[in-house]
Amino acid sequence: MLDSNKIKTRISQILGVPTEKVTDNAVLQELVIDSFILIDMVIDLQNTFNIRLNQEDLVPVKTVGDLISVMKSKV
Amino acid sequence: MKIQPLTENEKWLLSFYRTSEISGALFFGRLAKSLPPGPIQTDLTKHFADESQHSWYWTRCLQNLGHEPIKLDTAYQDQYISAAGMPANIMEVLGITLIFEKRVIGQYALHRQAQDLNPEVKSTLDLIVEDEKWHIEWVTQALKNMEGEYGKEHIEKTLKRFYDADKEVYQKTVKEHEERISGILKFKKT
Repeated sequence: MLDSNKIKTRISQILGVPTEKVTDNAVLQELVIDSFILIDMVIDLQNTFNIRLNQEDLVPVKTVGDLISVMKSKV
Repeated sequence: MKIQPLTENEKWLLSFYRTSEISGALFFGRLAKSLPPGPIQTDLTKHFADESQHSWYWTRCLQNLGHEPIKLDTAYQDQYISAAGMPANIMEVLGITLIFEKRVIGQYALHRQAQDLNPEVKSTLDLIVEDEKWHIEWVTQALKNMEGEYGKEHIEKTLKRFYDADKEVYQKTVKEHEERISGILKFKKT
């Protein structure tokens, strides 16, 4: 089972934003200026937590909480 | 042949190339950092180094011709995510990279044919195109190696989707900057 807090900590490390900003409701696009950093983040999360996501999986993802839910569904 | 000094539009175009190379370098650099050890990490690190070097080549080219690069806020590939959606795994990232690299090599080849091309610009284009050939080679091979894992058909479908998105972005970019580009990319009659 994936741990939500571990995912949030990793997101905070990759994006370089304080952990308190990485809440379930935080909108991913608002956490970074450059959307390409989000691609690196998604690749890193898959390597770190040993799951695989596809482009279609990310279509409904807007917030950190959405991303965590998708990741958990792939375990 | 009379060598013409760079026009404002040429200066803009070379600065546009430089900005796109910088964006590519930053993207591949971050990606190379987050990938586990292996052949893709190795090739991506070299790819990152090349893109970074290319941005230096354009900077040097502009400066050798007595200009400073223009600071531009957006790069060509910035429009990719909205047009193609966000690639989510390494296969999709390499897919979008392959389409982008083909666009780059095509654009540089087009520029290479421009009339009265400044020799400094010509030699910079030649230098970069050599590296771009290797970029296409390694990414094509890496995608081929992924066929067992992702499926050949799925990879082909992904490439087609990114190809369509690139076409849309390129047409939009050309239209947006038509006035600047059309004066530069005039071609010899064959």
